[in-house]
Amino acid sequence: MANLLWLQGGACSGNTMSFLNAEEPSACDLVNDFGINVLWHPSLGVELGENLRKLLRDLVSGAIPLDIFVFEGTVVNAPGGTGEWNRFAGRPMKDWVADLCKAAGFVVAVGDCATWGGIPATAPNPSDSQGLQFLKREHGGFLGKDFTSKAGLPVINVPGCPAHPDWITQIVVAVATGRTADITLDEFQRPKTFFQSFTQTGCTRNMHFAYKVSATEFGQRKGCLFYDLGCRGPMTHSPCNRILWNRQSSKTRAGMPCLGCTEPEFPFFDLAPGTVFKTQTVMGIPKDMPNGVDKKGYIALTAAAKNAAPRWAEEDIFVV
Amino acid sequence: MRERIGKLLADGLKTQTEPFPETAREFSRLLDELYRLPPDDLRGKLVLSGFTDTPYGPERMRCQECMYYLVHRKWCDLPELAVPVEADWWCRLWRI
Repeated sequence: MANLLWLQGGACSGNTMSFLNAEEPSACDLVNDFGINVLWHPSLGVELGENLRKLLRDLVSGAIPLDIFVFEGTVVNAPGGTGEWNRFAGRPMKDWVADLCKAAGFVVAVGDCATWGGIPATAPNPSDSQGLQFLKREHGGFLGKDFTSKAGLPVINVPGCPAHPDWITQIVVAVATGRTADITLDEFQRPKTFFQSFTQTGCTRNMHFAYKVSATEFGQRKGCLFYDLGCRGPMTHSPCNRILWNRQSSKTRAGMPCLGCTEPEFPFFDLAPGTVFKTQTVMGIPKDMPNGVDKKGYIALTAAAKNAAPRWAEEDIFVV
Repeated sequence: MRERIGKLLADGLKTQTEPFPETAREFSRLLDELYRLPPDDLRGKLVLSGFTDTPYGPERMRCQECMYYLVHRKWCDLPELAVPVEADWWCRLWRI
């Protein structure tokens, strides 16, 4: 039996919604099949008021062992480093987070806000938000870069806006069942099993990427979304086209560009009107190249691809 | 139509080849201007988008390598243009 506590800081509840929709395994499977004891969760917990405060105090003191602490949302430090803008159970949430992270066997940050600060931490960051162990790409965050939980691991980051339901539950199960040795983390502390491949891996538009045929509008069934519509699939680490959403779809499969939401820089660009879903270019060449491709190689590749493009690359190959 | 465009260019139609839209924003502004033209204003489209009937610039850019060029149809697939083209032509909406 592993005790799990889930709290929310500066959050929209998106990752909670995602978690409650998990299927492999589901939130119920965590309890029934994997022996996870969900002590409290903002949408599931029954304790209120003093009962909740007592539970939290017991977890901090160690009277009740805290095996897994899951945090969703940013750590809010405003105003002036006090954290008073986000109070919970009688004190600033950031104070609970600091104490609970010291007491926890494992700490799991779920979603972009908890991992890198996400949208709330985007400049000018009025809530003075931080991720648990990162602020955007900068290692450190609220807990500091040297933090490790009692089990000796840093914060396990499961980013996404929201994180895919099954990334959340599968990591929780791995931790709860003592399979943390199977979890290797990348430089941003993301589990490699999910975040080593790119969103482009498994994208059904890969042939259009290869032959340089562009989609020019949302929802078009032919064409690659990278060249015009700002798709960040070739440079975003995520398995969105391997572990499908609702078992059947993904943004790119629906004709919507990848937003790069699992990367620390999300949201990208200057967010000025007309720039978000447009591939930024310099002299007609994409500003951000697919990962590992340089400008010279890109130009040579494009010329070769155009010359080699088969006739079917220009057809609408998706049939409803 | 392709022949008609070719003849217009060969006869010396003066088009706005400069300035090249260096950034995505400048590119979008040019698209907005094109969008405001009447759909059948072929000459206007050619002028505004800066068509040439030869490769352009020191890097000899041409439709053949452009993202919007459909090789088998010899067609510019940029919605704001949507005209038949030759592989060796070029316009300032070129992008790769």
